[in-house]
Amino acid sequence: MENFSNETIETANFPKFETVVFTKLHSNYWKVVLINLFVFFIISSVGLCFALFKIEEIQGSKWQFIIGFLVLILLMVTFARIGFNKKGFAFRNHDVLFRQGIIATSTIVIPYNRIQHVALEEGIISRLFGLAKIKVFTAGGSNSDIQIPGIMKEEAENIKQLLMGKIQIQLQ
Amino acid sequence: MISNFNQPQRQNIIGVLVLFLDTIRHFSRALFPLILVSLIKIKSLDIFILLLILFLILFVFATIAYLKYYNFTFFLDQEKQEFVINEGILTKTKTAIQLQKIQQVNIKQSFIQKLIGVYSLEVDTAGTNNQEISIKAISHLVALDLKSKLLENDALKPIFIDEKSKINRENATESAFVKISFFSLLKIGITSNYIRSFFILLAFLFSAFENLNQIFGEKTIDKRKIDGFIEHSLMVDVIPFFLVLLLSVIIILNLVRIIFRYYNFNITIQNHSLLLSFGLLNTKTTILNPNKVQIVSFSSNYFQKKMNVLEMKIKQATSGEKEEAKVAIEIPGCNNLEKEAILKIVFGKNPVKGIELRPNFRKLGFSIFLTIILPLIFYLMIKNNIKEIEIVNYLVLIYIIFVGLIEYFKYKNNKLFLHKDYIIKQSGAWDIKNEIIATSKIQAITTSQLFWHKNLNIGSVTLHTAGGKIDFQLGNFNKIKAFKNLWLYEIEFSNVNWM
Repeated sequence: MENFSNETIETANFPKFETVVFTKLHSNYWKVVLINLFVFFIISSVGLCFALFKIEEIQGSKWQFIIGFLVLILLMVTFARIGFNKKGFAFRNHDVLFRQGIIATSTIVIPYNRIQHVALEEGIISRLFGLAKIKVFTAGGSNSDIQIPGIMKEEAENIKQLLMGKIQIQLQ
Repeated sequence: MISNFNQPQRQNIIGVLVLFLDTIRHFSRALFPLILVSLIKIKSLDIFILLLILFLILFVFATIAYLKYYNFTFFLDQEKQEFVINEGILTKTKTAIQLQKIQQVNIKQSFIQKLIGVYSLEVDTAGTNNQEISIKAISHLVALDLKSKLLENDALKPIFIDEKSKINRENATESAFVKISFFSLLKIGITSNYIRSFFILLAFLFSAFENLNQIFGEKTIDKRKIDGFIEHSLMVDVIPFFLVLLLSVIIILNLVRIIFRYYNFNITIQNHSLLLSFGLLNTKTTILNPNKVQIVSFSSNYFQKKMNVLEMKIKQATSGEKEEAKVAIEIPGCNNLEKEAILKIVFGKNPVKGIELRPNFRKLGFSIFLTIILPLIFYLMIKNNIKEIEIVNYLVLIYIIFVGLIEYFKYKNNKLFLHKDYIIKQSGAWDIKNEIIATSKIQAITTSQLFWHKNLNIGSVTLHTAGGKIDFQLGNFNKIKAFKNLWLYEIEFSNVNWM
């Protein structure tokens, strides 16, 4: 407060979040997404086969169902790919940024001095590829939390340490 | 004697009575159907045995109440700075709350407690809902004392800053700061919450009708008679009369509810906090710490504006969305001057309205699509399958005009005021609401944009706080982004505590 001044602030001069270069998720994470989708498709195709054999009313339009299912698979994989490409994160000096979304692209920014705690999560499939998910929590409810998947375990540990360090500094 | 909470102590002995009545109430709710059934079925039972059973049950309840009282102790652990409560008859629970985590301390008095002359004290924390503590029966003196002890932690900070306030505290100056008059409550009562009261009334009528049907069977209300009655041209006379009746019932219900709840609403300043007390039968006292306030909103409609009254709502830090409604503190019926005085206390100065931002016309288009065009398409689709009734077409027309007007005014009133220190959002069709948050309370900022809106330069922003969020759709995206950068800078640079 010693050198307090209160000049008019020129909004153009602030560091711009929109020019930040985002780091993409690890390419192995795409494999994790594909495996998850694959498991989903196996289960649902078993269900579809069962339905096609058992329910007589829909047997006439068997091929429509199969083609519809294949189109659905194609769409889901395409959207998953676009979603994967859109996801990105960045750590600045004072905040963490996360971008996601296919139709609406959203960018959430959490300043380090608003972080409540940080958690590291490893899924079963992610662990096979040595990947982890970082969860950043604030006091603003579930909508204002960030979950960054697809980060190498070591890097994730480093990031967690970095964030914890930043929180510690803020507390002092 | 009173001021020493360092040793575990019990509640007021007379409080056993409160616990006793509470236990009865608690069990009777669960046992009521059982009792009813047994009363009807067992007619031949001796009255002596019946009395004996009743006496036994009451005795058990009394024992439970006494054991509850005996096992319930509370004390302040000065070393650890914790408030500790031990309770439970068979399963013992020990709850410890760190003093600095305490969010609010409420002193309440239910009707039973008022008769006996004790108070209950509830402690709210920022943690999960389960951690909440309530002491059922203590005297008013003990309650006030304990409350000030529990909140001492908060009060310490300002006292260290200047000695003056310490003297003030010792003198216990409690200046009445805002006092909401009965007349203001009347004004609010007749002008607010039409829709909510309408639905409460509707629910009540439905359940009453259901119950009537169940008790007396379908015969009471002869359907054919009613149908015939409606078919008559009498309907034209009945409907306006019925509407007027409905409206007056709604207004009276609302008026009664507001007066019961908020009668004698007083706000006083105590140790830089606001102390609110209100209620006709159940007097409720709440402490509001300006540091913990996240969102302040006030709303007024056309009539209220003319009469210079508005409703204020103050949201404090919460842990989950479910709690939100509970933590919001309502101040009904203050005028503009009082509003400004409260804002000044809460924010330190009067919030400034910054640059105005309005939504793109596409927002109106989208909401009309959702609320009018989609239902209309649906109606036209099923129209051919149902028997044509002329009155339905009129209803559809009325719906379109009514909803269209609402959506138009919603769009017209929707504004966001961007400023370095304050963000103010205006919204609503009839009740126009203003929500204010200070930049320092923001936890995270989300901006989002649909991919086909990129060239149009419109997008949305959501500001998350610990007391809920504020969002604004389809505004000038460049301006939003510029202010996002500014706010982030303010939050990260100034490092002001948000709670």
